[in-house]
Amino acid sequence: MKNFRIVISGEGGQGIQTIAKIISNACFRTGLFCSFLPSFGVEQRGTPSVAFLTISDQKLLQPTFDIADIVMVLSERALKPVVKYINPNTTIIFDSSTIAKESLPKNTFKYNAAPMAEYASQKFTPKAINIIATAVLTRKINLNDQNVWAEVQNTLGAKFKDKEIFRINKEAFEFGLYLILETEKFTKPTFQTKHKILYFKGHGKSAEIVPERCKGCGICILKCPVAALKFSQDLGFYSLSVPHVDLEKCIACGNCKNYCPDGAIAVEKDKIISDFLKQEQK
Amino acid sequence: MVQTMPKSWNKETKPHMFCPGCGHGIVLKQLGFAIDKLNIASNTTLGIDIGCSLLAWNFLNINTVQTHHGRTTATMIGYKTAKPKRIAIAYMGDGGGYAIGLQSLLYAAFRNDPITVILVNNGNYGMTGGQEAPTTMPGDVTPTSPEGAPEFGSGFKGPELVASIAHEKAFIVRATVSKPLVLNSMIDKAIENQIKNNSFSFIEVLSICPTNWKMNAKQCFEKIDVMEKFFPTGILKGER
Repeated sequence: MKNFRIVISGEGGQGIQTIAKIISNACFRTGLFCSFLPSFGVEQRGTPSVAFLTISDQKLLQPTFDIADIVMVLSERALKPVVKYINPNTTIIFDSSTIAKESLPKNTFKYNAAPMAEYASQKFTPKAINIIATAVLTRKINLNDQNVWAEVQNTLGAKFKDKEIFRINKEAFEFGLYLILETEKFTKPTFQTKHKILYFKGHGKSAEIVPERCKGCGICILKCPVAALKFSQDLGFYSLSVPHVDLEKCIACGNCKNYCPDGAIAVEKDKIISDFLKQEQK
Repeated sequence: MVQTMPKSWNKETKPHMFCPGCGHGIVLKQLGFAIDKLNIASNTTLGIDIGCSLLAWNFLNINTVQTHHGRTTATMIGYKTAKPKRIAIAYMGDGGGYAIGLQSLLYAAFRNDPITVILVNNGNYGMTGGQEAPTTMPGDVTPTSPEGAPEFGSGFKGPELVASIAHEKAFIVRATVSKPLVLNSMIDKAIENQIKNNSFSFIEVLSICPTNWKMNAKQCFEKIDVMEKFFPTGILKGER
């Protein structure tokens, strides 16, 4: 067993601290020494959350470190806080469905990647990404997978009372253990937030939806009086679906614009037509 | 070109830091529309509190002050005293306004200090994980009230208390995020009350907290309907 200094980083809410907790408890089970430092500030939700793990077979004197051996990154925004822990000997494990290889720091040479977010959404549930990542990390640092799975059950025990959730997570864990990591050719990051603004036009109305800002809360869909909005295949800020508008049904009431907490959607009647109506009224 | 957000919003800091579906976004949007409509963006200062409301520090394109916990009202009164021509808006949550900063709020109303206070009430302490707040409705389960909040000592009705001692020129109202257009006109009136009557105005906004209530959008708006029955909305003091 080698010593490992690991940094895990991702979007707040992806389950970063859960991964670190499971791995560190599994290390204790195996009889290794381990320290786990969670790092998130007042802005715990919706911003990158980072976990620092030190694993060793000797007693640990110092839990902090400057350079990491393994850096695991699960979202593009989460790269920023971990760049300073990377040097040429660091192995970076990243989610190739959301992060392009070009956006990684230039001074690194060791890469491992897998489209974890894409697999999690398509095969299991989007939330299963942390279980897949746990399994990938388990194999990377040669931990006993039985121990880790026992610890997963221990940590998520309350949620596993639902048998469906248990089955999905068990499958995701086994899937992650035998996932082949990409080393040279990487999947194109297709599972990324759409950066273009979506424009809709027709029926005398024009609409604008900004996937970059949409967090997929679904309030606009709930508050639409004519059910003109529906979730689509395009992905928004948290890699969640963005609504599309059916302008044939839409009555341009402006509810979606008034309710949207993120300023991501608006529908307006076209000005030319409203000018025309004004002239007609005169 | 369709306008998806108010002109006074700072475009560079979007997407903002609030959780998906947070009521703060809706309140700040209506505040933004009100600032756009009254055209006071260059003349306004926003004071923000500790708690979830502090995430609005770079939300709007107007001057913003980060104050101590519960002292937003007091700081903005001081600011207004020093610069009477500026428009002072204090923005806080229910923890900052009722739990720690109630005395500042009460005396501001009592003395009729010319500031506008916007208080977002989501019934819990959102940033620390949804613990029981003074405004938690009786019977609601939170991490610190696992058997439901007690009948007596929860469901604090702030605007009623403030209205009972406020000056007659004050404008005191309870609005809700489930009616954003009404909320918008109330914010308009509250800011105009500061400008024209040089008086105190206070808006409590019932808000949703999908993360800590552990609810989706539909359940959230069902719950806020229940909240509106417990906390009756409408103008409590001032001109209609």
